[in-house]
Amino acid sequence: MLFLRNFGVGKWSKICLGSILFITISLLIGGCWDQRELQERLFVLAVAIDKADEGGDTKEEKEKKSIENFVQPHGNKLYRLSYQILQLTPASGSGEGARKASISTYVISSTGESMFEMLRDMLGQVSKGFWFEHLQAIVISEAAARQGGLQPLIDLFRRDTEMRWLIKLLITSGEAKKLLEYKPPDGEPGGIFLSDSLHLYKKNPHVPGWIPGLGETSQAIDNKKTVQISRVELVEDIVKIGGTALFKEGKFVGYIDEYATKGTAFFSAAEKSAIITIECPDHPGKILAFELFRHETKLTVHVNGEDIYYTLDIGMKGNLGESQCGNQYDTMDEEAIHKVELLVAEEVKHNILYAFHMYQELQVDPGDFGTKLRAYQPLAWERVKEHWDEAAFPNVSLFPSVNVTIENIGSHK
Amino acid sequence: MANLEAKTSMSAFQLAIVLFVTCIGAQIMLTPRALIEQAKNGSWISVIIGGVLFYIATYLMLRLGKKYPDETIVEYAPRIFGRLGGIFVIIWFNLVFFLQVVTIFSGTGKIITFYMFDRTPPEVVILALLVLCTYCALQDWGTILRIHQFLFVIAYSILLIVWLTSILNFRPENLLPLWPVDVKGVVAGGISTWGMYGGYECVLLLLPLVYRKVSLSKLAKEVGLAFIGATVLFMIIIVVIIGVLTVEDAKNLPFPALIVIRSVELPGTFIERLENYLLVTWIPVVFDTLAAMMFFMAQICMRQWRHADHRPALLLLVPIIYVGSVLIDNPQIYDQMGKLTMWVGLVFSFGVVPMALLLSWWQKGKVGKDCG
Repeated sequence: MLFLRNFGVGKWSKICLGSILFITISLLIGGCWDQRELQERLFVLAVAIDKADEGGDTKEEKEKKSIENFVQPHGNKLYRLSYQILQLTPASGSGEGARKASISTYVISSTGESMFEMLRDMLGQVSKGFWFEHLQAIVISEAAARQGGLQPLIDLFRRDTEMRWLIKLLITSGEAKKLLEYKPPDGEPGGIFLSDSLHLYKKNPHVPGWIPGLGETSQAIDNKKTVQISRVELVEDIVKIGGTALFKEGKFVGYIDEYATKGTAFFSAAEKSAIITIECPDHPGKILAFELFRHETKLTVHVNGEDIYYTLDIGMKGNLGESQCGNQYDTMDEEAIHKVELLVAEEVKHNILYAFHMYQELQVDPGDFGTKLRAYQPLAWERVKEHWDEAAFPNVSLFPSVNVTIENIGSHK
Repeated sequence: MANLEAKTSMSAFQLAIVLFVTCIGAQIMLTPRALIEQAKNGSWISVIIGGVLFYIATYLMLRLGKKYPDETIVEYAPRIFGRLGGIFVIIWFNLVFFLQVVTIFSGTGKIITFYMFDRTPPEVVILALLVLCTYCALQDWGTILRIHQFLFVIAYSILLIVWLTSILNFRPENLLPLWPVDVKGVVAGGISTWGMYGGYECVLLLLPLVYRKVSLSKLAKEVGLAFIGATVLFMIIIVVIIGVLTVEDAKNLPFPALIVIRSVELPGTFIERLENYLLVTWIPVVFDTLAAMMFFMAQICMRQWRHADHRPALLLLVPIIYVGSVLIDNPQIYDQMGKLTMWVGLVFSFGVVPMALLLSWWQKGKVGKDCG
């Protein structure tokens, strides 16, 4: 302030000068200088990756495919990359000619080998840049995954800083692009529909939704662990998510069904809720359903010389959710309920071993078993880690022990 | 009117804060990957080894400084090593700060442009940060000290809060086995944590401001507190990185300390992509470290050239720092620079300082004998 005094500036002048400076700076920094309206951005909501020659059977589709193309200096026409883009139409006008705000989606595609090159080529089909910050799901066709493995398909998405790590991955045995074109009945954009469906994993153990998404997949690849991706199928206008696709070292291994997916959730303690059904002990052909609310799960590894085995202790608490026997089965009888508890425990054990043996047959560790061995028996892990999936894991044993408590029978006997 | 900002003394606790802030700085974001690659699951042990090791180095510096009251290393080095040897030691001392400063500027420029302004050249970001740090370093020590104290409370607490949201994705089993199979890697990792703790050398400049007020044991205690604080913070960061990302994943990410919160989705909100918030809270931390180090460099030059003011020396250093920072233009050079900086720092701490201490004991003993 010394220099101001030298120029003869007084106290009030300084206050005025300070205020002007303050207001000017506030005006300059307060505005969104690079603001862009929502409808001026092309939000990519979902991505589909197919083999380049997949689909396109009709004449019209073939013609479309011929223009979704470009001359490549390197590589081959291996993949077709499709984007589902959100179209936001703002409300406009008033009175009779008024137009309501609306949301819709459309799909564009390109064929090539490099995902990045196809991305940039697709700019030739739009008038604004793509915005990936809200990308919800990546759907990969089984044929594309079998062709070159998972790595080339997702590398761009794990490398680019614009991508979220919570993007959901899905596999379909059919054409992935069709899933992007699918219009959910409630008018919700397809990408959001797929992502939200996977969020229901808390109540649906047929979905391996405990895997948060791209970040977790990237982590599994780095750790040379089995990558588990949800399976989605589209037949006519029905979309169904259920079951799991397995990848080992980036290569597609196969699918496991919904029952094995549920069993996997049991040994990794990933389930938040589950419905476990048994046949009524007194009325064959009738079903009783136990609804799981809480559980405590502990998977322990044991090493005895060369022998490696696991014990899995599970304590489950929940309600009797359904009894198709109706009043014929006395749910108020303590002994009858205890019988159900034992049968549910047996069923959980069966489910766990069903999943476990499926993994052993496919020679892929779902991740929990190798991780336990590495963490608690590092020396034993060093011995087997090179051939864990192929040689050691298929020969280990699992001994599940399940204790079920039915806390409530519901609001009707 | 007297310049109240030109501080002539400070408390031992203030010295501890300065040490903590200078040590932590930018490297919390830039160095964990290399450490985890080297020490794997035992990285937390390496951090403790490093804390003990560099506390010992700092203690030796305190012992050395206590022998020369009212003087910094710039004044007493020529008396210990001779005129030329002294100049060599002073240049080396300044080089320790210079190399750290250019590496931090370069790393910070890269990380900010990559994650925040991907179309902006790193040189522009470095220049903007350099201007800001220069403005701060042009002030007297009183101002810089106050900024340190302010940011110690504000910036670090916000940074830690943002960072700890990653606990939502924390899996304790990723930390196992706690005791590593590769002990050699852990010990080597302990030495390489110099990159994290580097900056403690500033005690050789700041000791004259403290020494008359407190005893060596009190100083050692306060400095020890700073090291305990830094070690705990580094350990939290390393443990969280491994617990969330696993060792194998962290090895493959250029900045795992940043990516660690990328998968966090705050429950009940739509807020995600927290790495951007983390970067924003990290910038003040980088700023105060860099400003302090630039001030130290200018102080060394000022004392060496017997100037009364550090500002001309600082303004002279600014273009050199800028050129040095932008020359580190690829990851290979950055890695090499990191290694060079570490060895320059390690040799200074465990070679030059102990030698100075031994020589000063020998010289004082000789003077005593000659008198007798």
